[in-house]
Amino acid sequence: MFRRKLRTLLTIVGISIGILAMVVMGGIAEKLNLLVDGGTKYYKDKVTVSGEGLGFIGSPMTLSKKSELENIEGVAAVFGETYSTLEKDLSTVNFGPPASITSTQDGSEPYESFVLTLSKGRKLNPDDTKKAVIGSDLVQKLNAKVGSIIKVRDEDFEVVGIYEKTFSTPDTTVSVPFKDGQNIMIEDQPEIIKQSVKSSEIVYDFVVYPKPGVDPNQLADKIKAEVDGVSTIGPKSFQDQVTSSVKIFSSIIYGIGAISLLVGSLSIINTMTMSISERTKEIGVKKAVGAKSSSIMTEYLTEAGIIGLVGGLIGVSLGVLIANSINSILEKTGDRIFLMSPRLLIGSLIFSIILGIVAGIYPAFHATRINIVKALREE
Amino acid sequence: METILKLEKITKTYIMGENKAAKKALTEIKKLHRIYENACQKKDAEKVKNIGLKLEKAQSLFAQEKYLESYKISSGKDFITKKAPKGVVVHALNGIDLEIKKGELVAIMGPSGSGKSTLLNMLGILDEPTSGHVYIKGENITDIKLRKLPEVRANELGFVFQSFNLIPTLTALENVILPLKYSKVSKSKRKKMAENALKTVGLSDRMNHTPNELSGGQRQRVAIARSLVNNPAIIFGDELTGELDTKMTKEIMELIVKLNNKGQTFIIVTHNPEVAKLCKRTIIMRDGKIVKK
Repeated sequence: MFRRKLRTLLTIVGISIGILAMVVMGGIAEKLNLLVDGGTKYYKDKVTVSGEGLGFIGSPMTLSKKSELENIEGVAAVFGETYSTLEKDLSTVNFGPPASITSTQDGSEPYESFVLTLSKGRKLNPDDTKKAVIGSDLVQKLNAKVGSIIKVRDEDFEVVGIYEKTFSTPDTTVSVPFKDGQNIMIEDQPEIIKQSVKSSEIVYDFVVYPKPGVDPNQLADKIKAEVDGVSTIGPKSFQDQVTSSVKIFSSIIYGIGAISLLVGSLSIINTMTMSISERTKEIGVKKAVGAKSSSIMTEYLTEAGIIGLVGGLIGVSLGVLIANSINSILEKTGDRIFLMSPRLLIGSLIFSIILGIVAGIYPAFHATRINIVKALREE
Repeated sequence: METILKLEKITKTYIMGENKAAKKALTEIKKLHRIYENACQKKDAEKVKNIGLKLEKAQSLFAQEKYLESYKISSGKDFITKKAPKGVVVHALNGIDLEIKKGELVAIMGPSGSGKSTLLNMLGILDEPTSGHVYIKGENITDIKLRKLPEVRANELGFVFQSFNLIPTLTALENVILPLKYSKVSKSKRKKMAENALKTVGLSDRMNHTPNELSGGQRQRVAIARSLVNNPAIIFGDELTGELDTKMTKEIMELIVKLNNKGQTFIIVTHNPEVAKLCKRTIIMRDGKIVKK
């Protein structure tokens, strides 16, 4: 293996690139999975009601719908929410949901099972104004700490708390008091809405908590049927919408994995076959002095496994390096694309070793079949 | 103790052909070995002495047993055929019946294509006949299980080839260690044994040189050391002086004769009458037949 340095090196480079692609793409998939997991957890016991629109982008509603929703059978409580993007103009391309400003009507806490813990500071109180609790990824972007004043849409807000890192949507969220949220949200609306809706009335959507024992999916359907002009997202519809898009992405990842597997294994098979045909005589000598087929097989499989291991280590290291560099650049804008989870890194490494060994099987088996007398005659 | 181990080694050599008598003998020796060890532990001087005598007797008995001291090959009345490249069937060996005794130094001579190398490859079980049968010590070699062949090669046989066949990336010492790697010799003993073998061929000072750094004669000495290292029953040499000049040929043959005088059996295929002259016995082959034993 070490004699044909250049060829072995090129094979290792080939595998490294394949594994690098896998790690980087896998890092994105892992991040997406985490976002989806977070969403699944968030949506699991509630129904989100928004104005009819496409997908998650609903048109704003007013608090007048609240009582209508509260009267539906099976509804325990309803709370309005606001949502605005942190940047007024979304000129930059974001991966995943953009950084956002959210607020919820007071009193939802007893119903909410998706509780975010704070790493520093305190939660928002009902009588707070111009206070904010920010996600961990925004700390660097906004250059903020507890007690500092940050600009939220040109308004001064005092940071009172920082959320614990979740690797999910809350990391890029600014939570503000409901009234402040409404004031920010109304600013984003077209003139026609600004004129017809008061800022104290506007909501982005409603969170509807079902009564104990009521299936949120059924409740979502019921609300959609009974209330005009709304669309609902229950746990199932979230899953359906998100999982299908994630599945497409995952298929691309697996596709890249399959291509790297093919290219990597062909390259190992090629290297090993060449190496064995060059070493026919050596194998003949080893067999003549007593090497068993199993020893020859082990020798070559180990060699192929080492190529896989080295390629894998380089690929994984480069992948981590690239992903972390991109993450640290993007951290300034509060967006992280890659999640280098241990299972991804260890999985890629093991995959690479197995790839090496599997690709080595044919050439190694071929080596064990070499006829000693013919091999010794080779020049 | 040394006597017992030596006996075990001799007997094992002859088990390669699944020889029942040899197997039985080995069981007996092992039994004596156990009794001897027990007696030593209990410091029973009388018993130790008695068993010692018994063992000496056993050793002399083994020496007298002819089948244990020879290596026979026969092809019966069948033709042994080998398929040459392009599918031409060659009657490589024909009616071979040959016995090599322990301690012999045999030269096999004959014109090209007379079957010398085929005979050597069959004797050394490096090759199998395409058709026909080869019997070694009464056992059909095609019946010796494939699994067992490497073990026999690693423990009982040694080979020296015309073009040395050393592995160019390994040092002389590593090349000599190679057969031990595939036999049951423990890791700790391998280096010492290989050093001894290199010392025997006079290359103590060249152990860490790779083949490229050695002369032709030195390379062949390394190859001889490699064939010697597992203390084999027989060493096969295929034109082992073929690539050496007259001076080096003389040196190598002197070494072979010296080793043979110490009891090592050699079978050498050669074209060189000078080499054959130094051997104790010359077999001449023509058209796959032995014309002179």
